[in-house]
Amino acid sequence: MATSIREKQTAALKRMLNFNTPPLKNAAAEPVWKVLVYDRFGQDIISPLLSVKELRDMGITLHLLLHSDRDPIPDVPAIYFLMPTEENIDRICQDLRNQLYESYYFNFISAISRSKLEDIASAALAANAVSQVTKVFDQYLNFITLEDDMFILCHQNKELISYHAINRADIQDTDMETIMDTIVDSLFCFFVTLGAVPIIRCPRGNAAEMVAVKLDKKLRENLRDARNSLFTGDGMAAGQFSFQRPLFVLADRNMDMATPLHHTWTYQALIHDVLDFHLNRVMMEEGGATDASSAGARPKKKIKKMYDLTAADRFWQKHKGSPFPEVAESVQEELDTYRAQEDEVKRLKSIMGLEGEDEGAISMLSDNTAKLTSAVSSLPELLEKKRLIDLHTNVATAVLDHIKSRKLDVYFEYEEKLMSKSTLDKSLLDIISDPDAGTPEDKMRLFLIYYITAQQPPSEFDLDQYKKALLDTGCDLSPLTYIKQWKAFTKMAATPANYGNSGVKPMGLFSRVMNTGSQFVMEGVKNLVLKQHNLPVTRILDNLMEMKSHPETDDYRYFDPKMLRGSESSIPRNKNPFQEAIVFVVGGGNYIEYQNLVDYAKGRRVVYGCSELFNASQFIKQLSQLGQK
Amino acid sequence: MMTSSPDDVSVCLQRTVSRCSCLDMAVDITVLFKASVKTVKTRNKAIGIGFDSTKDEIFKRSRPKSGFSPRAKEVITNITKLKDFLLQHRKDYVSAGSLLSTDHSRMTDSERDQIDQDAQIFMRTCSEAIKQLRNEVEKQVTSVQIKEHRGAVLDLIEMYLKGVCKLYSEQRAIRVKRMVDKKRLSRLAPEHPSRVGKPKEVEPTQEKSVKEESSEKSVFEVTTTQNNSVNLWEEGKVEDELSPEEIQMFEQENQRLVSEMNNMVDEVRQIEGKVVEISRLQEIFAEKVLQQETEIDSIHQLVVGATENVKEGNEDIREAIKNNAGFRVWILFFLVMCSFSLLFLDWYDS
Repeated sequence: MATSIREKQTAALKRMLNFNTPPLKNAAAEPVWKVLVYDRFGQDIISPLLSVKELRDMGITLHLLLHSDRDPIPDVPAIYFLMPTEENIDRICQDLRNQLYESYYFNFISAISRSKLEDIASAALAANAVSQVTKVFDQYLNFITLEDDMFILCHQNKELISYHAINRADIQDTDMETIMDTIVDSLFCFFVTLGAVPIIRCPRGNAAEMVAVKLDKKLRENLRDARNSLFTGDGMAAGQFSFQRPLFVLADRNMDMATPLHHTWTYQALIHDVLDFHLNRVMMEEGGATDASSAGARPKKKIKKMYDLTAADRFWQKHKGSPFPEVAESVQEELDTYRAQEDEVKRLKSIMGLEGEDEGAISMLSDNTAKLTSAVSSLPELLEKKRLIDLHTNVATAVLDHIKSRKLDVYFEYEEKLMSKSTLDKSLLDIISDPDAGTPEDKMRLFLIYYITAQQPPSEFDLDQYKKALLDTGCDLSPLTYIKQWKAFTKMAATPANYGNSGVKPMGLFSRVMNTGSQFVMEGVKNLVLKQHNLPVTRILDNLMEMKSHPETDDYRYFDPKMLRGSESSIPRNKNPFQEAIVFVVGGGNYIEYQNLVDYAKGRRVVYGCSELFNASQFIKQLSQLGQK
Repeated sequence: MMTSSPDDVSVCLQRTVSRCSCLDMAVDITVLFKASVKTVKTRNKAIGIGFDSTKDEIFKRSRPKSGFSPRAKEVITNITKLKDFLLQHRKDYVSAGSLLSTDHSRMTDSERDQIDQDAQIFMRTCSEAIKQLRNEVEKQVTSVQIKEHRGAVLDLIEMYLKGVCKLYSEQRAIRVKRMVDKKRLSRLAPEHPSRVGKPKEVEPTQEKSVKEESSEKSVFEVTTTQNNSVNLWEEGKVEDELSPEEIQMFEQENQRLVSEMNNMVDEVRQIEGKVVEISRLQEIFAEKVLQQETEIDSIHQLVVGATENVKEGNEDIREAIKNNAGFRVWILFFLVMCSFSLLFLDWYDS
């Protein structure tokens, strides 16, 4: 499959917005206008993929939320894109009764049940609008793609399938069933859009296994159903008959609890950790929000700014996985190139002034006009570039402020050392009791990582010391209770996760006095160099993809939905290494794992997915909730 | 290789062969929907609920056809007609001509000018229609959503019109450029057109406009007649002393004037080419300036607001100073009174 999942989903959406016919490539085609109505799920799916301008170009004049007040607009076809829930169906019936639009195209994000379809049918009959309902489709798009190779399940009601929901002590069987069904439904839609039937591997004895069993069953049922199978036609499109099927690895969050708490050093992960970053959109306040000294004076006006970090932003695509100092340098470079181009354009002005006396040389004049035309037409590009540079400057400055005020580089270095079990140069107690190194949450994270990665648990005395120090700085200790439980649990299972050997080499104190153009003063922030190391999830994937034998993964179950006999054998029948893999973490994931997988997957295609995306503070909240039970 | 068993492979292949290769991953359940409608109908009939279908049908048909939609669609069909027309005649319009002058699909210049004029009038009427629709939308009192929708519809139509106009202006620019290039290459020999027999650097294979050909022909004729006349006159030189010279002079002057006219025509053509290019640039600049207009307006508003704020601030400061001064006066007075009362008490006691 040459196209990424994001392109596939975008293509599916564009097709849907073109009344489910393939869109024409003709640039000067007649415009056809339509109205788009979506619910919150649909909005979350569409917003990372298509911008408002692109919607406009496709002829969508209005895009409205389903549950808002909508006025009747006659003579216009309406495209609906929503989940088949009870309230959505009721609202559709209401719309049909009120005859809001001329014709209706219903697209359901996941499959709609027969009874709900009959509800709509009866409402349409009552309103005598059956002829207006032109098309009804099941789109199978119930997942959100954030990057070319990353997807999450949902953003709206993610508490329902969060880590907390899956792992809480008082969970009922029925609740678990519903959660598993939701997850499996989305994964099924994912594979339908991808157009391939994977080979499933999962560990034993946890939520991931349940998901795998259900998914296998669902895929098998669908393949057996010869009439309505969804897996014919597309995956074997012309010339692309690939004998290689992708590998689908299910992992559980409980396998690796330290990574979500880890402090990070790459650009995208930092933004997610430190700023408010959802669905590729950063929300920031500007105006010196983090300046502590302005607390006494009148607070400066805080302007809320929102930035979209999209696939079209080349700088972002190149640097989202780079360590932060590199990003700072690159922004500076971009700024310089931009300035050079601006000067070039200004220079043309002077050329035009001198020219104009030479009559006979038409060619020279037309050259200059051609130059001028090209300069004028390249102006929008330059402006766009400037906007992006401004955006990244602002974002990176905000991140840098956070780093400096919370001393995140110290934490990062220390945690790397903890996770790689190399020697520590400062005692943990020192860092915890240090008053101006980070928020209480940072300290809690550091301590939890220490607790998780310690070979043997610290003695009672040490533990009390740490607890006292943490309480002094104002931390909440309930996550610790839960982690203790978890540790006891997993001790009974396999050996604790090994985080690989890594070394972090600080390049010494790095103080750079910037020239007038730059705004980054990185004095005191260590320029840390990341050495490649593999997180547990990456290692598992490596073992499975390369068919290596490892005590951790030998025990994994093997499912192949295409096999006629539903065998439970754990013997993989494929001896070749896989070229394509999809990793899915049940219970939540984050950008650190994603970045690690991307770094690992040079040359192979690896897609990362998780049931929800949280940053460390959200994860700590969930842990506290679990610990308080 | 493949992990599934051989019979799986055959099953899969069978499926691919039997099914049409549609790229749609979405499932069309319209058929299911219609079936559900039938089921519901039969169920309702069984229960005994009937629906007043006829009345609603009539009601639906008589729903007021708002004037906006059909008119917008009309504008679009007109623009499409223009586009088709331009594309149809594009090849002829742009053709630089062929070696065979008997190519019957060649267009004359007048036809081209006619096309230009017609296209421009058409485009102007279309943009007028769009503007009119926009004004109507503004004036009509409808809901915000409908207004927004109609505004967006008009934007789409305008973009479509712009695309078609671009087609036209590209065509025209190519044509003008070609003419200018031709002019340059096929320029007649400069100065001294009276010199007979000077080899003309005319490329007879290139297509000439009618005027050019006629002017060339006339020059050629003049020179040939001049040749003949010179020969004739050379023999009969004796008869008339003044007139042959006069005639010669007149003819020279004639030729000079003709060549001057030619040059002027050339220059006019050049200038026309330049002007077309300048007008294109001008269009681009005008667009940008108009874009900036709104920004400048808002800046103006802000500046006005800022000056008013500063004025008010000044007033406030003045008042504050006054209050301060007044306050000080009272304090001073109070202290003086206190001291006087102290002195008075002291004097009273002693």
